[in-house]
Amino acid sequence: MSVARPRRQAGIGERRLLALTALAIAVAIGYVAFQNLNTSAVYYLTPTEAQERKIAPGASVRLGGQVEPGTLRYEPTSRDLRFILTDGVTRTVVVGKGAPPALLREGAGAVVEGFFATDLSFRATQVIAKHDEVYVPPSPSRTPPHRTP
Amino acid sequence: MTTTALRGSSASWIRLSLGLASLAGALVASVMALVWAPPDANQGEVQRIMYVHVPSAWTAYLAFAIVFVASAGWLWTRRRIFDAIAVASAEIGVLFTGLALVAGSIWAKPTWGVWWTWEPRLITTAVMFVMYVGYLLLRSLSADVEGRATRAAVIGVVAVVNIPIVHLSVTWMNALHQLPTVLRPDGPAMDGRMLATLIVSVLAFTLICAWLMVARVALETSRQERVLDARGA
Repeated sequence: MSVARPRRQAGIGERRLLALTALAIAVAIGYVAFQNLNTSAVYYLTPTEAQERKIAPGASVRLGGQVEPGTLRYEPTSRDLRFILTDGVTRTVVVGKGAPPALLREGAGAVVEGFFATDLSFRATQVIAKHDEVYVPPSPSRTPPHRTP
Repeated sequence: MTTTALRGSSASWIRLSLGLASLAGALVASVMALVWAPPDANQGEVQRIMYVHVPSAWTAYLAFAIVFVASAGWLWTRRRIFDAIAVASAEIGVLFTGLALVAGSIWAKPTWGVWWTWEPRLITTAVMFVMYVGYLLLRSLSADVEGRATRAAVIGVVAVVNIPIVHLSVTWMNALHQLPTVLRPDGPAMDGRMLATLIVSVLAFTLICAWLMVARVALETSRQERVLDARGA
């Protein structure tokens, strides 16, 4: 372009109005997002919530809870994985295929993806280990406590 | 001109110092992260990815906060330096958000057992990443310097809502990503050496961010001058 087109210069008041409008929109979006996502965004259901919502057998769902101590079984030859997922109220038997993640431990958090079978056991297609925000070096005298999600 | 020459030499001096400080910071942080800090009792050596993942996310937040301030500065004053700072920090923020996503994904596979899952922190971070990529695309659509700066600045102001949303997404019901370790109500839940390493890593990343920022702002300023010269203004 050889000749610059005459440009309409926004007045200073107009500019600042634009700045304030943008800020107001940002605050509004933030407020609405917080109010809604905070209560409605759910990554997984607890076994109790799944029971209350009467999830139909075969429907895809994620369950989250704690691996009940003393229930984690994995057979390397048949690759059968079995444990009880609990939220402290409701216990769900989880059945899966394949090695669990190394950090899936008894008493620690877990999230399973899959569906309920007709016998109300849960068929996991994916097992995810949940871990907490505490970081400690290894020590021979104690194993670090896991906390429930 | 003497003033320009002076300004130029002081700018390159700042750049050189920041570059050397970044290099030193990266070296110290690497040694601390790879050698000095102990592995985590549960996660083992893979926990060391945290020393890249957390500082990347912090730097991304910082960069997007600067985009917000600079965008508001442009809308308020129409001084071109603000637009240069906004584009520089948006690019840096996208870079470090990408790095945080990649490092997080590499960590997630051995820890959680999956590379990716549609969990609140991951979703909100992906949205933030895409939004700022959109910001950069929007900028590239037009060569009209003022109009482009104004349109981009409105997005730059609005998109800042991503920062608190991403940061607080872990506190939402039933999420997978762990809660903040350092910024938590009852103090950092972390071994002292790990915490020191993390703090040094965050400082090193912040220095790198400042170094990239100074270089990118200088590039953008000279680009603006070329465009204005071509226009004969």
